[in-house]
Amino acid sequence: MNENGFTQFSTLTVLLLLAAFYGGTYLLTLLIRKDKEDTSGFMVAGHQVGFGMGAASMTATWIWAASFYAAATSGYTYGVSGPIHYGLWGALMILFIYPFGRRFRKLAPHGHTLGELIHARHGPSSQLILAGSNILGSVISLMVNFTAAGALVSILSPLSFQTGVIVAGVGVLAYTLTSGFRASVFTDFAQLVALMAIAIIIIPAVLFAAGGPAVMVDGLSQLTVEQANIFSMDAILNQGAPFFVAVLAYAIGNQTISQRLFAVRESHIKSTFVTATIGYGAIVIGLGMIGLMALSVGMEPIDGNMNNIIPQMVSTYLSPLFVGLFFILVIGSLSSTADSDLSALSTIMMADVYGKNIAGDQANPRTMMLVGRVTMIAATVAGLIFASFSLDILVMLVFVGALWGAVVFPVIVSCYWDRVTNAAFTWSVVVAMALFCIARFDLLEMTGLTVLTFEVLASVGGAVVIGLMVFGFFGRTAGLLAGLLVLVPMLIYSTGFLRDYTTLMASLTAYGASALVCTAMSLFSNERFDFDLIKQRVGDYDGVDEESNLVPEGAK
Amino acid sequence: SSELIYGAYILVWPAVTLGVLVVICWAVVRDARKARASDEDLL
Repeated sequence: MNENGFTQFSTLTVLLLLAAFYGGTYLLTLLIRKDKEDTSGFMVAGHQVGFGMGAASMTATWIWAASFYAAATSGYTYGVSGPIHYGLWGALMILFIYPFGRRFRKLAPHGHTLGELIHARHGPSSQLILAGSNILGSVISLMVNFTAAGALVSILSPLSFQTGVIVAGVGVLAYTLTSGFRASVFTDFAQLVALMAIAIIIIPAVLFAAGGPAVMVDGLSQLTVEQANIFSMDAILNQGAPFFVAVLAYAIGNQTISQRLFAVRESHIKSTFVTATIGYGAIVIGLGMIGLMALSVGMEPIDGNMNNIIPQMVSTYLSPLFVGLFFILVIGSLSSTADSDLSALSTIMMADVYGKNIAGDQANPRTMMLVGRVTMIAATVAGLIFASFSLDILVMLVFVGALWGAVVFPVIVSCYWDRVTNAAFTWSVVVAMALFCIARFDLLEMTGLTVLTFEVLASVGGAVVIGLMVFGFFGRTAGLLAGLLVLVPMLIYSTGFLRDYTTLMASLTAYGASALVCTAMSLFSNERFDFDLIKQRVGDYDGVDEESNLVPEGAK
Repeated sequence: SSELIYGAYILVWPAVTLGVLVVICWAVVRDARKARASDEDLL
């Protein structure tokens, strides 16, 4: 144990653990390395990822370092229902996107990014709004994951924070650089097997080492009434509702998800994403239960830092072997997400930026591969720099979350409704972001008619969220009906109430405003888009015959 | 009974995780065998 109460490994032990993890992962990628990688393989594994690999990759990608810490924090803070309010909504992000993913895939069977599809539908301005939000999200994710590596290494060993950050960054880049997305998926499978095996061992081990269910039940008397209630309104309003609102936004805003929607065999999309939903939920909620156990036994997190809950519980009740397993658990989770972010960023730069906006009709596969690999190196360096400076990214995170919320309605509706125009898409996002900023940062005095207007917009936003979710599974009529059924009680109960929950109101306002503007402008348009054009405009980039100068479909 | 409920509430999640792990490994092994039989790449 060190002076902080954590198990302390020697420098040599931690370096060996890191070398074993990253060295082993690198060796795995040698099994699938090709002499000549093509762009389709590098970006989406040739659209041929099977059910098992796809489900493993989606699950591992969606579990990042923050998943365990935040789920445990939720369990410790909100009690019995806390872990569910973190893990369930995160899992539903995977579930609710798949019906739309099947539509994306039907429209663009050979697509690589959602931005390509939007480019084919609307042109560059709408595409770059979406691609920009994807890039911001992935860069933030990279930075957070590298930061988590630095924090973990500095807590459990004499090594510095910077050392952990650099080892994670270089390690992830080393095994992802050559084969891109194929390496990401293949290593995700191995990392997920390790993650799941460790979670299956650690959760019961902590429970019984801490005294078993009998001791835990005795400790439940220390919980507040809200913490002991599985239907705690405190947990629903503060943890569940903001997360629920973000379900579709996070899924649409993340290229790591859309990349897998385009990579998995079309017939396996449903089974892959349903399995990933269950896998993600079980692992994250299960590890979140360690936070509930900590609350039940009356443990106080060291320095009041909630991120210490899991390492503290494992260090207190289990042998150093389990702490080593926990170390691999966190390194595996952050690496699987970081390699997916690198693949996502490289694909956006290859397809959205170079393929669609720079090369025009002359996209060269070799140049494209170079763009992808240079992007990976640049993104890793940027992630390392941001992580090393421990930048406060809260405002940026809030902004990106709102941007994702603002693009949800226009992106989805553009794939179904032939009247949506590029102007409707662009202006709906701009207006939604402006109104979000006003509500979130109190740029106007939130009283009287002003705050009432925002509450009405937020009510529309709530109806849009539910309506879109139902629409994805049950079609337009059911979606509209569900939206109306939510809108009426929202208008009655949220006026005078939502103003006390600024973050929630601002997020819902982004949804509501973008939906209203996009719908109104589309109704005034005379455009009737032919969706068959998307299939013609989005294709693979390989196969340029340099002698005859034939241009691949995707480059057009 | 409350101990049983608490224990089950905690342990159901690793149990489900184990189930998903078995399904994923089974699917990957099946795909690997298919790929080998048809002389194709798994990825």
